[in-house]
Amino acid sequence: MPEISEILSTATSDVLETMFFTPVIAEAEAVGASPVAVLAARLSFSGAKQGTLAIRISAQAAGTIAASFLGEEAGEPPPEKIRDVICELANMICGSVLSRLDSEAHFHLGHPELVDPLELQSVEGTSRSFDIGDGEVAVLLHVDART
Amino acid sequence: MPYNVMIVDDSPSMRTFVRRVIDLSGFEVSSCLDAANGVEALELLGEHAIDIILTDINMPRMNGEEFVRKLEEHEKFRLIPVVVVSTDSTHNRIRRMLELGARGYVVKPFSPEMLRNELERVLGAVNA
Repeated sequence: MPEISEILSTATSDVLETMFFTPVIAEAEAVGASPVAVLAARLSFSGAKQGTLAIRISAQAAGTIAASFLGEEAGEPPPEKIRDVICELANMICGSVLSRLDSEAHFHLGHPELVDPLELQSVEGTSRSFDIGDGEVAVLLHVDART
Repeated sequence: MPYNVMIVDDSPSMRTFVRRVIDLSGFEVSSCLDAANGVEALELLGEHAIDIILTDINMPRMNGEEFVRKLEEHEKFRLIPVVVVSTDSTHNRIRRMLELGARGYVVKPFSPEMLRNELERVLGAVNA
């Protein structure tokens, strides 16, 4: 069984490259709050394990990812579409991580919601930061120790 | 042969993306309708001829499980093949959706080729 950080890394890279046509250039452990992070999304999950998965993302990276996902070549999508795409990114990474943690288990994913990036500063768990060239995506996984 | 496709997902961005990936895959589409949940989809199915449905699971008002169950109960709609498109790749979930009546299952993340292969497999089985 791979380490959780390795699962987080593989799942996020896979989602970004396959669904968002955005290759990861480099990655590292995410430390503290990024000063350029302006968007964050979080969803909870329950079942065999329970906890939360959150992402925080720089404005530039959010625009790039949303444009790539939606196939908009004329420029950055409007803010409401960017927010929807970021929530979808969190949802996909969470599903991918959980199925890699235990493909035989049953999980229920909550609805992803935008949150204040500062709310994520105090979240304990495993985190990775991904450089996509146009900015940074950080993923934070918290698994309730009782599950 | 081009097909009439329906995409059911509560995320407008995901609906746009699925449509885009279908086009990128080379799968021939005659018309493409979309709905934000099972309730909207059932309303549209009463008004339009659809060859294949792609649906998410987690949706408000009527989720994917309930939607597939409703389709199976309907004399006419039960003939339309359903492919589930979901982030949930746990074996239990896939088994459950197929038992309810879905004919195919595509796990996110997926490539255009993976989506096309599943659509063609399902339609091939239906038309065999």
